[in-house]
Amino acid sequence: MANEKSSPLPNQHPALGARLVQRFFRTPLDSVISTVTLTVLAYLAYHVLDWAVFNAIWTTPDGTSEVCRGVDGACWAVIQQRWRLILFGLFPYQEQWRSSLACVLLVVIVVMSCLPTFWTALRLTLIWVIGFIGFFLLMRGGIFGMSVIAPSEWGGLTLTAFFFVTCVLIGMPLAIALALLRRSPLPVVSGGAAIVIDCVRSLPLVTILFTAALILPFVLPGWLLGDKIWRVILGFALFYAVYQAEIIRGGIQSLPGGQDEAAKALGLSYFHRVTRIILPQAFRNALPPTINQLVITFKETSLIVIIGFFDVLASGSAAFGTGEWSFAYTEVYIFVALIYFVFVFSLSRYGAYLERRMRVGTN
Amino acid sequence: MKNSSMLAALATMLWSSAAIADSGDTLKTVLERGALNCTGHNGSYLGMTEIDDQGNWSGFDIDLCRALSAGLFGTSEGHLEIVPLSWAQRWPSLQSGDVDVIIKTTGVTLSRDTEVGLAFTRPYMLNSVNYMTHTKLGVEKPSDLDGGTICLQAGTTFERYFAAHSESNDYSLKVVPFERTEEMKAAFEAGRCDAIMDWDLQLAVFKETEAANPDDFMIVPGTIAAEPVGIATRQGDANWSDINNWMLSFLIMAEEENITRENVDEVRANPPSASVAKLLGTTPGIGEVFGLSDDWVYNMIKEQGNYSEIWDRNIGAGSIYKLERGVNALVRDGGVHFSLILD
Repeated sequence: MANEKSSPLPNQHPALGARLVQRFFRTPLDSVISTVTLTVLAYLAYHVLDWAVFNAIWTTPDGTSEVCRGVDGACWAVIQQRWRLILFGLFPYQEQWRSSLACVLLVVIVVMSCLPTFWTALRLTLIWVIGFIGFFLLMRGGIFGMSVIAPSEWGGLTLTAFFFVTCVLIGMPLAIALALLRRSPLPVVSGGAAIVIDCVRSLPLVTILFTAALILPFVLPGWLLGDKIWRVILGFALFYAVYQAEIIRGGIQSLPGGQDEAAKALGLSYFHRVTRIILPQAFRNALPPTINQLVITFKETSLIVIIGFFDVLASGSAAFGTGEWSFAYTEVYIFVALIYFVFVFSLSRYGAYLERRMRVGTN
Repeated sequence: MKNSSMLAALATMLWSSAAIADSGDTLKTVLERGALNCTGHNGSYLGMTEIDDQGNWSGFDIDLCRALSAGLFGTSEGHLEIVPLSWAQRWPSLQSGDVDVIIKTTGVTLSRDTEVGLAFTRPYMLNSVNYMTHTKLGVEKPSDLDGGTICLQAGTTFERYFAAHSESNDYSLKVVPFERTEEMKAAFEAGRCDAIMDWDLQLAVFKETEAANPDDFMIVPGTIAAEPVGIATRQGDANWSDINNWMLSFLIMAEEENITRENVDEVRANPPSASVAKLLGTTPGIGEVFGLSDDWVYNMIKEQGNYSEIWDRNIGAGSIYKLERGVNALVRDGGVHFSLILD
């Protein structure tokens, strides 16, 4: 590669037009296929744009949907009118600056802890402790003259982000523990971990959430119950953890046995063997499925709607759930899809960056 | 969603065997807490439970929650907690004490009243259930749909209405169940099914505001069922059930007596009859029997108005839906609603 770059062939970079012709219209068959494909694509693109842009209504002057009646295009006015509901759910209107600030704070600490500069135990702990305290102060209020807002009123994007981050934060250490326990030489320990993993994995996520939210109050004593949101987060985290545990175990098992043996021969303790030798390599091998699982988990957070939480998707459906805007569900769903896309796509690109950094996936 | 309805059944079994701590005195619990926990929706249900631009709840059911809270506390401001719930979540949430009352467009059925362990009030609304179909199919009566497909909301009473009606009228349709109403409507609009079934309110809204061309769709004449909608409370708390039941009766009585938000103070000062005097607390007696203050009905009407005002504001002439009272009018206007006797 380096050689080619240093001495480019003269015809390697011809004019754009010539290059296109060379690629797509070399033979008559190529030309036919290219033309047909282009026509179809242009036709589709025209229709999508026609609906989404050219004929679209962007704003409403009076807050009603009157401007969109009888219009062929998209009615983006619904977003203009209802975006705060979509992003913040039931969070009190006057206080929504707190919710947005808290959401930004959460995103910032996630982004910070993704940067290699912050990858020391001290810095990470510091970021997260400060971040979470800030998040709770903003969301819950109760001091500095901020009114108290119960978690039942949290909603929208902030709730989705908080839910996801907390689940992963609780689930990841749990997953590591489960994976290590399952590899224990003691049959009781490994068997126990295996049973936990297999049992939780055999249940549908919806069942776990429903149980955590609704059936536990019948079973547990009052002082052990805590807020509904925490029960659900723990249930969700457990579900995430058993899948992640198997992914990590896969990563561990892909390591040559000599790694552990060599570490033992050097006299390293179990703790050092695991944290310095086994896990870093296991995570490197398990990175693609880990990112995969994170993406799945992020999208599955929308399931909490069935137990009455207003995550961003539920807030979206509340946004068009009024006679005024009930026709505009496509627009709202597209808007929510874009939000999901931004988050998940960033996550995927970050995963790709990590893979490049650790040089996995290529060898 | 099959899972959730099965779980609801499981939860039912659990609580029928487990002792339920707080089924004793809901009123006391609510007053001590200082707020009524009432049902909302996980999303919105047109006209009944909605969320406005500022994230506040509104709708017919919500206003009933407000009226109840205003009756208990004098004002619903700061004394009402709307708990968002899915349909299947209603029963376990009531039984576990998450909510004190279910005001969530809930049809009164035998099994809900007995097996699920609920106590229902008198119906506060009667909803006509109809089919809607594509005009081009030329359907004139429900049985003309024979051999087609129908999209239904899973886990609702519509499934049962459909089964019962098709069986007794000897026609059959292939059922395509959906969890979400808008998915069902989209599938119907795209021609994936020949018919949908819903309340006339929902169907009318769909036809007039959502469909690209309203003339493409028609409501099939012939009521499949008239679903009575009531307020549900935990079984075994007679006083709490009474409060809810009489709240509805008093809201209707206020309409019969033409007592509105505007004139309630006037009427209270110069009550036209002994029963109105008692209703509004001019003479004592209406609160004591429930363990409430004598002005509880007055506070309710002062804040939310009578039945017709609640109707107009949320689904009637004052709303975007413009739904006629129809069968839900007072008996004197040819409908089914009447107040119980205040003696």
